[in-house]
Amino acid sequence: MLKITLSQATPNPLQLSLECTPGELHALVGPSGSGKTTALRTIAGLNNAETGSIVCNGEVWFEANEMKGVTTSLSPAERSCGFLFQQYALFPHLSALENVCVPLYNSISEPTKRKAQAGQWLHRMGIGELANRMPNQLSGGQQQRVALARALARSPKVLLLDEPFSAVDAPTRQGLYKTLAELRKDLNIPILLVTHDLREADLLADRITVIDQGVGLQTAPPQVLFERPRNSRVAELVGINNKFEGVFTAGKLTWDGCNHVFDVLDKGKIPPNTPVAWVIPADGLSLHNKPSSSSIEADVEQISALGQIAVIQLLLNNKAYTLTWEASAAEVNRLELEVGKNTHVQIDGSKIHIMPLRTINDPRRFTS
Amino acid sequence: MDIDAILLSLKLALWTLVLILPFGVWVAHRIRAAGKSKSWIEAALALPLVLPPTVLGYYLLVGLGGKTFLGIPLVFSFTGILIASLIVNLPFAIQPIQRAFEAINPEIIEAAQVSGLSNWQIFRLIELPLAWRGITSAAVLTFAHTLGEFGVILMVGGAIPGETKTVSIAIYDKVQSLDTSGAGVLSLILLGTSLIAITISYGVFGRQPSCSKEGGS
Repeated sequence: MLKITLSQATPNPLQLSLECTPGELHALVGPSGSGKTTALRTIAGLNNAETGSIVCNGEVWFEANEMKGVTTSLSPAERSCGFLFQQYALFPHLSALENVCVPLYNSISEPTKRKAQAGQWLHRMGIGELANRMPNQLSGGQQQRVALARALARSPKVLLLDEPFSAVDAPTRQGLYKTLAELRKDLNIPILLVTHDLREADLLADRITVIDQGVGLQTAPPQVLFERPRNSRVAELVGINNKFEGVFTAGKLTWDGCNHVFDVLDKGKIPPNTPVAWVIPADGLSLHNKPSSSSIEADVEQISALGQIAVIQLLLNNKAYTLTWEASAAEVNRLELEVGKNTHVQIDGSKIHIMPLRTINDPRRFTS
Repeated sequence: MDIDAILLSLKLALWTLVLILPFGVWVAHRIRAAGKSKSWIEAALALPLVLPPTVLGYYLLVGLGGKTFLGIPLVFSFTGILIASLIVNLPFAIQPIQRAFEAINPEIIEAAQVSGLSNWQIFRLIELPLAWRGITSAAVLTFAHTLGEFGVILMVGGAIPGETKTVSIAIYDKVQSLDTSGAGVLSLILLGTSLIAITISYGVFGRQPSCSKEGGS
């Protein structure tokens, strides 16, 4: 189990707490410069936070508070982290096999045994035949597999992956996803993945922590995060398109986009007549050719076909709001949708998620 | 041909190389972490490049004059010109190695840290092999420059045959005594040596980054 609580003001602000259990793949997601990599580097010991703690399997790697300053700070070598760098950082003067030998240098003194074990890791990564190649003779995907083998060779207690898939092409990425999924089952250690790609995080992670300006805004399983973002900034960061503002009173949501009042879940936390932000996931929307008592009239403004998926922009009849709806190409054909066509949108009130309405400029305000 | 002068120059160049190279590697490696004082240290180490050799020679003469090391006088002796040679060659030995260390991607060092290597192991297995090209350049430049050094050697050592009379000083002596053919032969030897040294620096070692394949295994 990896438990971290980090806090610092400079050079990059960081305010983050999270736990990652053995076998869990935990994604840190946020825009560029949000502090994801800083957090990962701090866990590895390449940076130090001002205050906080990092505890792995009960072993304190880092501890500091305002009163005493840094009381414990193990060096990167002592922390037993497998770290996969974004640009791989392979040792350019060593072959693939020798790169993987490096983390074994202190644990296996016999060079032959060291090479044998490194070779096994390369075989496990599916690149055993490339053992004698130099890094500059390997493709991006192959280099990454060498880097992953190197990160794992030491049998680390934690695996830290810093945007590992950003520099490889799509087919290679798919192969690496598969490798990572297989490794997860065998390794049974906490894995932290930094990415700015939400689809990737959704695909791979058990839980996601959304970070913005160094502050952890929400930690949740992907499905929960996409359906019930904690606040409007999280909704914005996870790319929820259908985000609006309304007024909430005792289980009723009023929205000036239509005359209909939606029945939504009331947790009793929001006082009456409170302006709120609300989101509706894609599966909470449906389109119909015929109107119903609760449907909203809209015109198809744009259809963007993305392979078998189409993204449809709908301009509501009051011309003030646009809804985004994703559907399969077959569904688009069934509804005979085309730009300019009049249609009817049904919003499922039970899928509506309401959130506090706050400005997006100061994410620290969302942490409470 | 003045064989003694050639042998003395080679002896001086080899001793200079043996002594200055480990020091150059150490200083070049340490200088990265010097912080605010880095510019001052770099300036001090580069001073022999811009200081007139006679000025440097004068200060060495004044500083070392009358002093001995293990009973050996430090001026007008081989030890004296060796000390002078070490000081004159500081920038040639340190700067290429410093550039080579600075060219190493910091992420590679971090990768070595998270791989569990100690600082010494990182230096030995990662940084030193990656800086090998710079170390080679430093060695070649130092060797060639020592062979050709004139002003400082003359000031500190004079021209004692077999003791301080190096090839450069022998050439000067031969020209003074109108032995132009003798001076020509010695000059040709220095020219050839320098050309070979520079070719080695730019060619054989320059093209391929050095690598210690045994390093990580």
